[in-house]
Amino acid sequence: MAYVNVSRDPARNLKNGYLATSLVGMGTTLVTFAKQVFGLEESNTVQWPEVEYQYSERFKGAHFLTKRPDGRVRCTACFLCATNCPAQCITIVAGESPDKGVEKYPVRFEIDILRCVFCGYCEEACPVDAIRMGPEYSMAGLAERKWVYTKDYLLERDAVKRKVGEKQVSKKDENTKHDSVDSSLPNIHAQGSGHGH
Amino acid sequence: MPVMNSPYNGRQPSEFRILTELEGVPNSRSLEVYKKHGGYAALEKILKGGMSPDDVINLVKASGLRGRGGAGFPTGMKWGFVPKAPGEKYLITNFDEGEPGTYKDRYIAELNAHMLIEGKLIGAYAIGASKSYIYLRGEFYDEIAWCEQAIKEAYDAGYLGDNIMGTGFKHHMDVYIGAGAYICGEETGLISSLEGKKGQPKLKPPFPAVKGYLGRPTIVNNVETLAAVPWIIRNGAEAYKKFGTEKSAGTKLFNISGPVVRPGCYELPLGYPLKRFIYEDCGGLIGGKKLKAVIPGGASAPVLTAAEIENITMDYEAFAGAGTMLGSGAVIVIPEDVSMVHVLENLMHFFKDESCGQCTPCREGTGWLLKMSRDIVNGDGSPGDAEKIADVAGKMMGRTICTFSDAAAGPARSIPQKFAHEFLEFYKSKQNAAQAHG
Amino acid sequence: MSNQVTLSINNQSITVPAGSTIMEAAQKLGVSVPHFCWHPGLSIAGVCRFCMVKVEGMPKLQIACNTPATEGMKVDTVSSDVKDAHKWALEFHLINHPLDCPICDQAGECELQNYYMKVGKYQSQMEDEKVLKPKALDVGDTLVLDTERCILCSRCVRFEDEVTKTSTLGIFNRGDQATIGTYQDRKIKHNYSYNLADICPVGAFTAKDFRFKCRVWFLKESKTVCPGCSTGCNVNLFQNSNQREYYRLKPRHNADVNGHWMCDVGRTMYEHLNASARLPAPLLNGETVSAQAALQAVTDALKSVSADKVAVVFTAQFTSEEYKTTLATLKTLLKTAPKVFVWRDESEKAEDFDGILFRGDRNPNTRGMMDVLKEQGVTPVMLKGDFSALASASAELTLIFGPEVEAGYPNLAKALARFVELKKAVYFGNTLSESAKKMWLRMPVKVFAEKNGTFVNFNGVAQKLKANPPVFVAVKGVDEYFSDLGKMAQATL
Repeated sequence: MAYVNVSRDPARNLKNGYLATSLVGMGTTLVTFAKQVFGLEESNTVQWPEVEYQYSERFKGAHFLTKRPDGRVRCTACFLCATNCPAQCITIVAGESPDKGVEKYPVRFEIDILRCVFCGYCEEACPVDAIRMGPEYSMAGLAERKWVYTKDYLLERDAVKRKVGEKQVSKKDENTKHDSVDSSLPNIHAQGSGHGH
Repeated sequence: MPVMNSPYNGRQPSEFRILTELEGVPNSRSLEVYKKHGGYAALEKILKGGMSPDDVINLVKASGLRGRGGAGFPTGMKWGFVPKAPGEKYLITNFDEGEPGTYKDRYIAELNAHMLIEGKLIGAYAIGASKSYIYLRGEFYDEIAWCEQAIKEAYDAGYLGDNIMGTGFKHHMDVYIGAGAYICGEETGLISSLEGKKGQPKLKPPFPAVKGYLGRPTIVNNVETLAAVPWIIRNGAEAYKKFGTEKSAGTKLFNISGPVVRPGCYELPLGYPLKRFIYEDCGGLIGGKKLKAVIPGGASAPVLTAAEIENITMDYEAFAGAGTMLGSGAVIVIPEDVSMVHVLENLMHFFKDESCGQCTPCREGTGWLLKMSRDIVNGDGSPGDAEKIADVAGKMMGRTICTFSDAAAGPARSIPQKFAHEFLEFYKSKQNAAQAHG
Repeated sequence: MSNQVTLSINNQSITVPAGSTIMEAAQKLGVSVPHFCWHPGLSIAGVCRFCMVKVEGMPKLQIACNTPATEGMKVDTVSSDVKDAHKWALEFHLINHPLDCPICDQAGECELQNYYMKVGKYQSQMEDEKVLKPKALDVGDTLVLDTERCILCSRCVRFEDEVTKTSTLGIFNRGDQATIGTYQDRKIKHNYSYNLADICPVGAFTAKDFRFKCRVWFLKESKTVCPGCSTGCNVNLFQNSNQREYYRLKPRHNADVNGHWMCDVGRTMYEHLNASARLPAPLLNGETVSAQAALQAVTDALKSVSADKVAVVFTAQFTSEEYKTTLATLKTLLKTAPKVFVWRDESEKAEDFDGILFRGDRNPNTRGMMDVLKEQGVTPVMLKGDFSALASASAELTLIFGPEVEAGYPNLAKALARFVELKKAVYFGNTLSESAKKMWLRMPVKVFAEKNGTFVNFNGVAQKLKANPPVFVAVKGVDEYFSDLGKMAQATL
């Protein structure tokens, strides 16, 4: 069993005790303060919002939805992000895509950002690289409705466009279909599959 | 060329005439010529000589006649499986000769289809069938006409009908034309096709001898098997057993293809040395090319290397002992200048096209084997491809309803295994060519 | 000869009737043998070659679904060669499967997925292009067919041939081009089409009704009985418990009632359960009131009219317990039995039967209701198209127990129009029909999925319903209302 031996030795208390260490810490602060006031040392403080801090490219900030090269939404409404989300903040309504090569797409895709814990599991779960977490971190706002990010907002907001730019277009392999297979055909007999009798 | 010591050394193939007796006889397809050569005497012997169906079955059993379609199952025993209970039974002739390299049944029809009709009548008498069909491949235009002509002649001469030769034996025969699917040569696939369904083998049990065509007991025999029956009845089981080996009795038609000097259909006793057949009877390979491999029993038989045919005889047991099979007797000779990679791709294309698609391992496996062998041919292969093909083929064996999957797996396993070095060389040459280009 | 055989599977002994297959014996023993094409309600196809087992004395592995069990047979389903066979059989199924699980509705209840996790090879050696086939084909009003996902187990073809005998489906082409499809110019058009989506072990057939609506892992199933007709098929009802939303029904096997199947009419029996299709609170003269106030109004009305001026109109869509409580309460309060009418739709042909499951009597508890009425000594008067008997009763208070499933009452509006003419009509039912608007009092009731109770089917089989949490918490069942009402009346006496 591990336990902490609390010493009652006054000499040690002087060296390790609360008061002594507080004073040492304050000393460090004052020395640094003095150095920076007299320009002997660079300050680490970022003067936000006048200056913006440059986070790593891999920063997991507010979500955005990626697009296919032709501009359509990448998401196939598979619900894996919604399933994986520990905060249950993703709401998807799936529908039949007018585009025959896609089949399923999100009619609605909403993230309740107030419930989001920014864990990034949605990004991990996505099989088609459709949802990513972007560099955006300043998300403050007033109106309540802003806290549910809609599909349009996730796809098209200016902040993301400015910061992510071309990266919003996913380069992941397109799951497009073979030309010879036209799923719009009502009946398989209509197509010559080369093997019929 | 020296060959192994065999009882047939020194004898010429022309002496063994059971099925090819009418070879070279003018107007051989006519009923008169057939009768002149002893035709329908066997039927008369049975119907008027007081032989019971069991006598016929026992005689055929004693002759050691085995199915000539490929499996080599004893014919007499097969007939014996049919239940004795009254009711309609069917005898069907498998004339869907589809095994690549095989043209023996067509040769019989070309010589004289009455041989087949008489054999069928005897078989029908033995199993108690009053209706039989000849299931013919749709592309065999001439053979269809010859069979139909022979049936008509037999009806006119009183060999078919409600009262055959005045003995009260009733039998009707018809030709059914298939659509040319290889799988309809499989007996249950043939029955499905005959029933008007998609030609797909049926699940066994029940076996066709118990529940076959239209749910009634059915026997499916190869043309060659049935054509040999009249001779056996006329000459006795012992005479037939004089040919061939102890377990593989009688003669068999062998079809040889590939670059040999005299290709064609040969009647040979079983147990005949393969090397002698290729080099003496067929005159060896054209231009003195070296032999690389032989596919001894149609496309589905595993391949034999030149070294393996050195001492092999052509009978069921010897081929089985060498890990291949006699099959339909189609000997395909592959010379030194043909790449085994292309041979494999060619065979896999055939099997991929002909799989009925019913059982998963065969449906998916044959397609996969073709894709893998195509990859090698196209230079998209990898060094491990030969093993991978053999491995996948191994997983297709013995896992399906019929033996088609095994047939496809046979060459797919034997070729990459026996010619692994050639696959590797082919891969390397493709790599080098690609590098030279790039 | 004995008509039982004893065999051992993985050294466990099991006795089955002679003629059973190894698969049936294994099922009885609870040993799982992987399979796709075998289905207990259909003939044996033996084409998936997945159910390989090792039988002692047989040189090759055998398929469990078509190998007859024999006395003393020793079967092994777990040895390494059997496992290898299962792995490869699954691999062959998967090499041309599109693996579009993310957009496939079957994902989550897909046998291909389940078996992959159980017996899969995990590392596929397939590196070539897959065979492409037509996707998302419209094959009828109820189903979508994806021939690429299909594993050609032929269950659907056999279902069409053997159960519905419609033979709309076939397998076309051969080899790896083999494709399931409908015969030329034909569509799947019968009352049992959704069963095809059920028996399809993969996502080849998906139900239009459920297409893209919800992923199955959000759904919880509960066992219940279909209220769609007097057959009383055993079903599983699927609800997204987070949203309190019902999505679909699927049949549950019961050899005595429905076998393995249910009809398409029954499949719609989730629609009227969801909030949007229901009356949320009582309406007294068109005003929303509390259940308490509504029941008080009924109690007062019951007291103000003489006992012979009270009429009850039943439909056979409530549980036996509800009829019993209602009648018993009224008898106690009125000191006599009320006049009871039974309302049947004017178009109903109760004796109709489609030969499979669906019956013309669209009420789940006709038999149960009649039994209760008999037991309570009440002889009901039939109202079928002709409401003159009700009118001539000149009741001052009429308690109407309307149908929960309105699909069986195509002339509902017509009947409701007659009821609103009555003096003080109380309508127990969730109908949102315009014609019900002028009813004096409308009481929402619990639906079959929210009740504990009994339905007695056409054949006299009594089946229990088990309650799910209600969609509207304040809404009660008829029996609960009447026992409350009874207590209220007692208290004010």
